[in-house]
This record gives sequence, C-alpha cells and structure tokens, in this order.
Amino acid sequence: MTATFQLRRVTVSYPDIRALAAVDLQVDPGEAVAIVGPSGAGKTTLLRLLNGSARPTSGTVAVGGERLSEMSPRRLREARASIGFVHQDLRLVPNLRVLQNVTAGQLGRLSTLGAVRALVWPPRDAVRQVHEMERVGIPEKLFASTDRLSGGQRQRVAVARALFQQPVALLPDEPVSSVDPARARDLVQLLVEISAERGLTLCVSLHNLELARDYFPRVVGLRHGRIAFDRPPSTLAQGEIDALFRLETAGDRA
Amino acid sequence: MTAKTPSFSIGPRGWVLLSLLASAVWASVTLDLDVRRLVPTEGGWSVAAEFLARAVSPALTYEAAVVPAGTQPLLVKATEAARMTLAIAAAAMSLALVAGGTLGLCASTFWWRGTVRGVRRRFPFVVAYAGLRILIAVMRSVHELFWAVLLLAVFGLGNLTAVVAIAIPYTGVLAKVFSELIDEAPRDAGDALDGLGASRFQAFIFGVLPRALPDMGAYAFYRFECALRSSAILGFFGFPTLGYYVTASFENLHYGEVWSYLYVLFVLIALVDWWSGQLRRRLVA
Repeated sequence: MTATFQLRRVTVSYPDIRALAAVDLQVDPGEAVAIVGPSGAGKTTLLRLLNGSARPTSGTVAVGGERLSEMSPRRLREARASIGFVHQDLRLVPNLRVLQNVTAGQLGRLSTLGAVRALVWPPRDAVRQVHEMERVGIPEKLFASTDRLSGGQRQRVAVARALFQQPVALLPDEPVSSVDPARARDLVQLLVEISAERGLTLCVSLHNLELARDYFPRVVGLRHGRIAFDRPPSTLAQGEIDALFRLETAGDRA
Repeated sequence: MTAKTPSFSIGPRGWVLLSLLASAVWASVTLDLDVRRLVPTEGGWSVAAEFLARAVSPALTYEAAVVPAGTQPLLVKATEAARMTLAIAAAAMSLALVAGGTLGLCASTFWWRGTVRGVRRRFPFVVAYAGLRILIAVMRSVHELFWAVLLLAVFGLGNLTAVVAIAIPYTGVLAKVFSELIDEAPRDAGDALDGLGASRFQAFIFGVLPRALPDMGAYAFYRFECALRSSAILGFFGFPTLGYYVTASFENLHYGEVWSYLYVLFVLIALVDWWSGQLRRRLVA
C-alpha cells in the first residue's frame, strides 16, 4: 500500500527560524492523525508541506508515492485538487455567497471557462451536492453572503469547500481555534466521522491535546520543529505531554 | 542619570508637513499671489450680482430679442443637450471600462509576482510590465481637453471624436486605480484556491477579483459622474453638449439661459448619483 503522505528527513528553514528539523513521517490511506504541540512548533508548516504550499529546504515530500518536487505543474494541480486543506484563518471570499465559496473547492478540476460558469451560474448538481452536506450544517445559508455568517458557520463553509474537492485527504489546520469548546468537540467528531465514512486520510493539527486523545488513534507531538512522539494516545505518559507543552525556558533551544 | 541631549529630529510626519508647507509657500511666491486681488472691481461686482441674481430665475424661453423661426424651444434644446452629454459620457465610459478594466487586470502585480515556474520568463515579463505601466501613465497624464484638441485636428468635429477624447484618459485612470484596488485586495483566499489546485487565473477570478469588485464598481460610478462633467465641458469645442450652449449664452450675457443649462446638468448628475446608489445597494445586499 502506498502511503498517502511520506516525509523523509524534511527540514524547513526560513531566514530567521528553522520551522522543521529532519522530520520523518508516514501517513497511510484512511489513517486519522492528530498533530499536537505548542504554537510555533511547526504544525502549520508540516501541513503546508503535504499539499506543496511549503517546500522543504532539504528532504523529500511524497504524496501518493510521488515526490512533489518532481511533479509537473499540471500534476501538482491534480495532487492539490485531491487534498482538502482547511486553513486556520479559513481564507474564504467574504463577499461571495456560501454556495460560491463551496463550489470553489472544485476549481482544481475545472477548465478556466468552466470556472467562470461555476462562479456565475453554480451548476444544479453542485447545489444538490452541497445540500447533501447536511451534516456540515449550512444548507439553509447556501445563498447568503459569506460575511453574514457567524464564525462557527464560516468554519463549516471552509470544511464544506474542502469536502467539495472530493479529496482523498483532509488537512484541517487548527480547525477549532476560533470556536467554543462544545462546538470544537462537535467539529472534530464531524471531521473524524466524515473521513472514516469516505475513507479519507485525515491529518489535523490541534492545540487541544484532550480532543486529540479522545478522537485519534495516532497522535504526533511536535516541539521546536522536531517530532517528540508518534504513538497511540493510550501509551502516552503524562511526563511526555507535560514536556511537549512546557513553556520555553532559558537555554531550551541551545 | 545622564542628561539627554536635546534632539531636533522631526520624524517622517514632520517632514511631510514641512514639505507641504514649503511647496505652498514656493507656489504662492512664484505666482505672486495677493489676496487683495480677490476683491472684485466695480464692473466685476455688477456682473457677479447680475449673474447670481438669475440663479433664482432661470430662463424658460430664449432671452434674445429675435429668435430665428424654427428654433427649438429652450427647454427642448436643453433636454436634447443633456441627452447628448449623457450619450457621449456613456459611450466614453463604456470604452474606458472595457479597455481600462483589461489593462488594470493585466497591470495588477498578481500576475507579475516571481513564481518558481516563472523564473525563466522573468526578464521579458519585466519589460512587458514596464511597457504596460508607461502606456497607462501616458494615457492619463494628458487631460481629455488636450486629447480633444489633438483629435479635433485629426478627425474633425464629430461625436466619436468627443467619445475617444474622454475615453483615452479615463482608460488610463481606471487601469491605474483598478490595478491598485486589486493589489490591495487580500490575497489569502486566492492563495487558498492556489493550494487546492486552481490555476493562477482561476484563483484570481474566484479568490482575488471578487474582493476588489465592490470598490472597483464604486470608483467606476464616480468616474462616470466625472465623465458627465467632461462631456459637458467638451461643448466648449463645439460638440453639441451642455457646455456648448452654456458658453454661447454666457457670451451673449443671457445669464438666465446659462442657469437653465446648469440646472439641467445638476439634475443629470443628481440622477446618475441616485441611480448608482440604488445599484450599489442592490449589489451589496
């Protein structure tokens, strides 16, 4: 079985900071993985590597067994179309309708003309498909302007856009950072259930270790750009968790 | 505690204020401006008084003692002039919107950002970009009255001459402002669409352009209002717009007629303003 995502010795350096250091990670099809760690640990960078939005300074990233760096632009578009990324800041177009934001998820598979048509006249079966995402919870808002929605509703529009891609993998980046605890639990549960039903590979970055422990069979702890642990949550010792979230002390990074 | 040495640094804001002040002083000295010259002469007072007095009593019929037979009634003529003013402005604006919109989209930095794939093509891109910017600058640095003088010499007096004279500088201004509005629009959604496999063009159409469109629309409406004024003013050159009749009446000292034409222009601009307000409300809602 080819891994959905495979990172080998991946380092990502920015001019003033090293975001990831020699990370090895393999995620198999249908797996559900939570990536946890304090802010600045490199969680977002790790997810961005997986759809080619970030490029490794050294090491290789492969999606479906194919190295991203060796893909043609066309092939990269195809790969990206099959990966649903949910940004922490959502990145929706506020003054488009909900339906338009959701159908934008299909862009990777549309021609230029088809894209314009989909924007101006959303196809009927797109409307139907979005309606079927009843559980994502937006049908009654389909024709509302996106900026009229609450934060939680917008969050669901962003998830719907990613699902509308018909992806093989879902990469929600801190999906619960802006919703209240009860909704956070609902949302994580929804993501896990939908991924399981559709057989999607799920890689979520989470701030909240408790949610990661409750819903994911595999938890990857990230600290200072290195993988601290990569195990089922039941085997995690309290000491490991404390160390992961321990506040920076002098000489910590030396 | 060490004593602080007094600092005379005025900071960037100070420099802006200082240079504004300096340019004002330089200009007034160069022009030898003297406020006392704003006091009108005795003849000036009477012209002003006479002219302003007619503001409350605009003419409803011609003021000339003899009106040639077959002349249209004044109000019919004013309405006809308003119709021509509107038509020339609308035609010019349509041209400018298509041309300026196209140039503006092309001149947006969204297309010119160095991408990993675009590295090899970078040099010709820079040349094309600079050429585009220069073209836009040339179009808008020459006023429509200048273009009118030039085009009159080439094509003679005709409606198309007036339309093109307005359309050229308006294309330049729209292109510049549109490209800047697009550049200022947040790129986050466009980047997200790029990340889900959209082409550059698709990411632009779906992710970036919609965020700039409301401002682009508002600005286009404002420019349409400006086009109406420009169209009226072009009448000074003999085009059959309101300005033509305003100068003719003014030269004949028929101030009542001047006010009639001016009021028609006010109404026209107020109507366009109301219409654009309605349209915008409907688009935003």
